[in-house]
Amino acid sequence: MGSVNRAARFKYSQISNLLFSGRSRGTISAEACFDSTSRRLISPCYHLGWSQNASFCSNSARHHGKDSSSIDLNQYPSDKIRNFSIIAHVDHGKSTLADRLLELTGTIKKGHGQPQYLDKLQVERERGITVKAQTATMFHTHNFLGSDTNFLLNLIDTPGHVDFSYEVSRSLAACQGALLVVDAAQGVQAQTVANFYLAFESNLTVIPVINKIDQPTADPDRVKEQLKSMFDLDPNDALLTSAKTGLGLEKVLPAVIERIPPPPGKCTSPLRMLLLDSYYDEYKGVICHVAVVDGSITKGDKISSAATGRSYEILDVGIMHPELTPTGILLTGQVGYIVTGMRSTKEARIGDTLHHSRSHVEPLPGFKAAKHMVFSGLYPADGSDFEALNHAIERLTCNDASVSVTKESSQALGMGFRCGFLGLLHMDVFHQRLEQEHEAHVISTVPTVPYIFEYSDGSKVIVQNPASLPSDPKHRLTACMEPTVIATIIMPSEYVGAVITLCSDRRGEQLEYSFIDSQRAFMKYRLPLREIVVDFYNELKSITSGYASFDYEEAEYQASDLVKLDILLNGQPVDAMATIVHRSKAPRVGRELVDKLKKFIDRQMFEITIQAAIGSKIIARETLSALRKNVLAKCYGGDVTRKRKLLEKQKEGKKRMKRVGSVDIPQEAFHELLKVG
Amino acid sequence: MPKLPFGSVLTSFPTITRPPGLFKSIKNTFEQTPQTVRQNATLTATITPPHKLPPASAYVHLPFCRKRCHYCDFPIIALGSSSAVDDDPRIVNYIQTLCREIKATPVESSANPPLETVFFGGGTPSLVPPKLVSLVLETLGSKFGLSSEAEISMEMDPGTFDRDQLREFLELGVNRVSLGVQAFQDDLLKACGRAHGVKEVYEAIDNLKACGVDNWSMDLISSLPHQTPEMWEESLRLTIQSEPTHVSVYDLQVEQGTKFGILYTPGEFPLPSEDLSAEFYRMASRMLGNAGYDHYEISSYCKSGYLCKHNYTYWKCEPFYGFGLGAASYVNGIRMSRPRKLKDFMHYVQSLENGVFNGEDGRFETSDLAMDAIMLALRTSRGLNLKTFGKAFGFTLVHSLCKVYQPYMESGHVVFLDDKGRSIEADEFSRLVSDDYKESDALAFLRLSDPDGFLLSNELISHAFSVIGS
Ligand SMILES: Nc1nc2c(ncn2[C@@H]2O[C@H](COP(=O)(O)OP(=O)(O)OP(=O)(O)O)[C@@H](O)[C@H]2O)c(=O)[nH]1
Ligand SMILES: [Mg+2]
Repeated sequence: MGSVNRAARFKYSQISNLLFSGRSRGTISAEACFDSTSRRLISPCYHLGWSQNASFCSNSARHHGKDSSSIDLNQYPSDKIRNFSIIAHVDHGKSTLADRLLELTGTIKKGHGQPQYLDKLQVERERGITVKAQTATMFHTHNFLGSDTNFLLNLIDTPGHVDFSYEVSRSLAACQGALLVVDAAQGVQAQTVANFYLAFESNLTVIPVINKIDQPTADPDRVKEQLKSMFDLDPNDALLTSAKTGLGLEKVLPAVIERIPPPPGKCTSPLRMLLLDSYYDEYKGVICHVAVVDGSITKGDKISSAATGRSYEILDVGIMHPELTPTGILLTGQVGYIVTGMRSTKEARIGDTLHHSRSHVEPLPGFKAAKHMVFSGLYPADGSDFEALNHAIERLTCNDASVSVTKESSQALGMGFRCGFLGLLHMDVFHQRLEQEHEAHVISTVPTVPYIFEYSDGSKVIVQNPASLPSDPKHRLTACMEPTVIATIIMPSEYVGAVITLCSDRRGEQLEYSFIDSQRAFMKYRLPLREIVVDFYNELKSITSGYASFDYEEAEYQASDLVKLDILLNGQPVDAMATIVHRSKAPRVGRELVDKLKKFIDRQMFEITIQAAIGSKIIARETLSALRKNVLAKCYGGDVTRKRKLLEKQKEGKKRMKRVGSVDIPQEAFHELLKVG
Repeated sequence: MPKLPFGSVLTSFPTITRPPGLFKSIKNTFEQTPQTVRQNATLTATITPPHKLPPASAYVHLPFCRKRCHYCDFPIIALGSSSAVDDDPRIVNYIQTLCREIKATPVESSANPPLETVFFGGGTPSLVPPKLVSLVLETLGSKFGLSSEAEISMEMDPGTFDRDQLREFLELGVNRVSLGVQAFQDDLLKACGRAHGVKEVYEAIDNLKACGVDNWSMDLISSLPHQTPEMWEESLRLTIQSEPTHVSVYDLQVEQGTKFGILYTPGEFPLPSEDLSAEFYRMASRMLGNAGYDHYEISSYCKSGYLCKHNYTYWKCEPFYGFGLGAASYVNGIRMSRPRKLKDFMHYVQSLENGVFNGEDGRFETSDLAMDAIMLALRTSRGLNLKTFGKAFGFTLVHSLCKVYQPYMESGHVVFLDDKGRSIEADEFSRLVSDDYKESDALAFLRLSDPDGFLLSNELISHAFSVIGS
């Protein structure tokens, strides 16, 4: 009867599995894992410095007046504009600080709406994390150079998790300054370091904000010292706040206005507008977030994309205040949205330069494309509904262009997709959004990283799907390369030994080891990406009682002794279970995979052999004996309905299984394999 | 070292492109696509299936017990051990309600045949005073008619009846007894919470013999906690020595909410392992077979000519009435289970009398009929009649069944028979079910093998379900 129960269990395990890296707020000092994106931003060209930017541009645009808007952007020439991001380690309070600033400026009403107002996605609310950067425009009056002046402030709340640092990079491109938020009790953590350098390398003004000073364990002085020693930030520049109680908040916006330079663009130059982000709205169609670098736009203007050459008309233009608010215009230095007749978000290329169709401009440098570090196959959980999954993925990628999708097919799982993700959390969030927002049910294959295999004829293959690697290639293999990362780990000094052991077990090479203060150590390691993809962070958390924080950035490929590990059921390879591993890890991984499968495959009418193999060499083997008995002896008093329901359940269970040869594999088994490192 | 190859902005986009406007039409196409055998079956259901016949069988539930056995999840009413049952108002009231239910049951046609089988199940029907049982039989007789040849079975438990009582039951027309022995070991009986011991078992058997009951069944349970192969062998041996005409062997089901359900996990000590439990099943099949019993249904054995006619109506998918607490009925193609709680049951009878209860929504799916037919027929050694089934549900479905079962016929779990009752060889079979399959006389029956197929019947039947659609 095992399979009846199993059928019922699927659903739950599937869900809990998708959530396995979800975290509970406040219990750990770090969240981290797998990044993907380049830390380096191709530096935006328009940082010209503060003093060069005194000219006024107030009459640079006609006001169309058709929009029923009371906001007149003409009152905000660039010197009255400040664009800034809020950056920090996970959970240090960015979104909460954003709430307070929105309230302070009357952009949202105090006590109305949910906390972390800008975290709008269901995943964000459930997990309590920011996944997508969000922009909001605020207006604030400040006594500046002796007179009360109205300022337009553009705030971007960013995600803290390493997977989404691409969002941070993009956001910084639209800013001249950043609030670097640091938890007063936790101090500088791995993503604090990473995000500081992102801002620093883009030449942004960094304002340190030591937050959560209301906590009993807050130690702002220690944090000030860390900021000084690690980033050379002046302790006197640090603002002390509690986003929870509101303490010290009145100092934040004055600091933003006085310390951050206004945007440097030229209002007299032809329009150049950076495309920051895009999403699909049921009613309005494609909505693009843009930063006007030079010149200005007005509703009705004809614009063109530097990347595609396509032209569009501006149908609507405005600011996020915090919801879409039409203004009819956007001027130099302003950040807002435009609606054009774009049919698909695929036309909206992040980092593209938009310009007036009539003029020719030098494109802005844009950004490096998001890098996909983790690949996995996504298949419909219930075999038949490929089209439904296709549809769901298409809809979701409209709003998350950072996922790459190509069709692939598997003998075991049928038609599906190979998707590239920024990291494992990103993959997890994508699954959850597919389920929650698009009601799709998916099986995902073991995540893999892109390896490079080189052959004697000079050919070179980038392997995103282990199954696609030929088991006996035509040409001799000359080299295998695997991607590596540079990992930053910050931990209390008593855990150093354990962390070093973990990193060397994961084939890591230590690059740096120092102390950020008397109690905290800082280490840098080069690690193969594969080694951190599965379970590294959980392991790190458990050996440091949750006190370590972890961040990484991509690094070079390195030569490595890699093998393809096949899983065979009754002698037949299961393509969707193939993995590529380092030769030294193969026996252990093979054994774990075989054991897991033995546990999760039900006994069937025939004996099943489960094997792990490298080429023709079997490295692990188990057998699952045949099912002996599955009979309902009793069918009492003609109660046929109850019995039939039982058997129907059993049938449903079967239908949800994937069949390889004569072996039924529960979907659960695929999910379990994700956890084998 | 090479740098990570990074795609340009242009190549990093997903490759599937479709304008949003197309989403809708694709969805519609998708919704229309699945073609199941069921649709096929609906179109080809042409002949009158057995469920359209008027019922000639009645199941009557008499729920009273001294106490609840540890494995039991039936709707029962425990009376306790002290009271004399003769005029226990709980029994009297129940029987009255039961008779009202019988009377209020709508009878479709006036040409109803008289009842050919009646089965008193429980509970412990032998706890009900004969005069009350008589009332029930009279009510049934005047409502539906009762054939003079009718098989009237009654479940009886050792220790609940003496010879006088038994004679009274026999005089009322009861002509078949199903004796709830379960095991021949006092320790096991005690562990099950049975209200009798082995001594009472022998007394009961003597009583049956002394009163000349020649058609009786010994009911046993295998895979009880702490049961060893030796004990099971002993129970089977003593059963054979008692010479019942019928033996029922139930494999213990650990049901949720029962004492066993709380205490035990199937396959784990003190319950026998799955392997041992399968061995118990094989032992019964072997020993009873050698003693001349025909294994005519998964859990039923009989001497020639003594199969339980009542139970066989179930396996043939024929209609039957059901009366009393929790009883299931199958009338006009609708399967219905009565409320399992006494109060709810009273309400049900009341609404039946007021004419406000008009059965369940009165609709059923052809696929349900097909599933019932397969599930029930495959419990019997006769198996599924592929021709009648094909005529009712379509030969495409028969073909799919053959395809699904092909590997299991090769492994010996499933047997296909020709119209002369000979089993078909594998080569012959693959020729018959090749893709240009046509309805042919060569494939007449499909059945599970004994004991290998029977032992995995759930597994095998659910394979059949998977080709029927949802
Ligand atoms: N005690 C205290 N708690 C705070 C303060 N600011 C934020 N928090 C709490 O810290 C937790 C994290 O806050 P968020 O604003 O979601 O943090 P975040 O930096 O946006 O997190 P990510 O977007 O996931 O990186 C929440 O439970 C907040 O209520 C503060 O000043 N004091
Ligand atoms: Mg946040």
